[in-house]
Amino acid sequence: GLLSILRKLKSTPDQEVRILLLGLDNAGKTTLLKQLASEDISHITPTQGFNIKSVQSQGFKLNVWDIGGQRKIRPYWRNYFENTDILIYVIDSADRKRFEETGQELAELLDEEKLSGVPVLIFANKQDLLTAAPASEIAEGLNLHTIRDRVWQIQSCSALSGEGVQDGMNWVCKNVSAKKK
Amino acid sequence: MFVQVCLYFYCKCLWRCLKFVVRKLTGQCELQRICYNTKPGAARTMKIEASLKGSKSKRLQTSVNVHPDAIEKTIDDIMELKRINPDINPQLGVSLQACLLQIVGYRNLIAEVEKLRREPYDSENPQHEEMLLKLWKCLKPNSPLKARISKQWCEIGFQGDDPKTDFRGMGLLGLYNLVYLAEWDTEIAQQVLTDSLHPKYSYSFAIVGINITDLAYNLLVSGALKTHFYNVAPEAPTLTHFQQTFCYLMHEFHKFWIDEDPLDIMEFNRVREKFYKRILRQLQNPEMALCPHFAASESLINM
Repeated sequence: GLLSILRKLKSTPDQEVRILLLGLDNAGKTTLLKQLASEDISHITPTQGFNIKSVQSQGFKLNVWDIGGQRKIRPYWRNYFENTDILIYVIDSADRKRFEETGQELAELLDEEKLSGVPVLIFANKQDLLTAAPASEIAEGLNLHTIRDRVWQIQSCSALSGEGVQDGMNWVCKNVSAKKK
Repeated sequence: MFVQVCLYFYCKCLWRCLKFVVRKLTGQCELQRICYNTKPGAARTMKIEASLKGSKSKRLQTSVNVHPDAIEKTIDDIMELKRINPDINPQLGVSLQACLLQIVGYRNLIAEVEKLRREPYDSENPQHEEMLLKLWKCLKPNSPLKARISKQWCEIGFQGDDPKTDFRGMGLLGLYNLVYLAEWDTEIAQQVLTDSLHPKYSYSFAIVGINITDLAYNLLVSGALKTHFYNVAPEAPTLTHFQQTFCYLMHEFHKFWIDEDPLDIMEFNRVREKFYKRILRQLQNPEMALCPHFAASESLINM
């Protein structure tokens, strides 16, 4: 209504946050992006290139960049590193055969100079599937406890049902404010 | 808000009065006037559709939802309701029937396409697997697939070593479209595939095919494809018409992509959006037919 418009005009513009969404193909990045933007998730197609959406959350304007995860596209990831505030790395918890591959990609990202010190949130996605590995098992398999140069968090979620997604985003907003202030 | 509601009813009332006056002056109802003054095709069928949907008679409103088998009976009912003598106006019944066939056909096509889209690719289903392997054979007749799970799938533009996860929200529809393109438009399919491997214009053929399926699906569901189908399918549009439209869109997108001279694959969604808007604009012209040379409808035209 009119009141909320007036309130919007009065308050200071939201602080912009640049979020980079990465992970292997079929990890569920685009579904997560659409879930964040409260959009329909039943028509998703594999991402050629990238998608971007802006989402308002807890006084922040989150600009989320979802980059395709296909092996052919991964070399382009680095073009999007600059000025990243938060890295979200998505893992298909049911795709055990590619845990090693996804771990390797994550390790390479954490070694990137342009991403040094950037807080990282790892979504252990697809927990709705029976075969999904629990977040603790993934954390152990990826040796996450050895990360010392930044804050990190692993959050189990289902981008399909939305479960766990908000918890992860709360962590994101908390750590953005910690970093930016 | 209140003013808008009043204005809406005022206009509606005015429109009804105008129709009444014209009807009395010409002695013809709106359906007759449309059939006599508009040439067959999208222009006529879309006007008939709007007229039926906007009619104050329940029978006319629901006529666009009838089963195809009930169309003849529906036309008789409409003629009776409108007190049109079929002996004096023999052509009118035929024209109306053709329009209604297209209108009902379009609705049924949406349902058929939606059903295919909702069926996920299942690697346990032998029919699905057979189609997938057929896609490979049509596109790569000279290099056999070494294993079902193989890096070779990347050569035709899937993301990894097993295409099953790439169909996603488009389900079987994506596979059906790709197989149709590879089987019936083999030359173009192979040409586009070869071009898509060109280092400068490189994109993933199969993945783009699934994305263009999404584009065609959106055009269909939004009703934008009505112009095209009403112009090319003299009777009801079928799945074959939809798949031919997909082939056309795939080929056109390919040319569009090269003309756009993109820096790299990261421009895909920008180019796709621009292409989509261009097709939408073209479809606003009631004369528009995206691909006039339909093998499937030629037999119908001769009927």
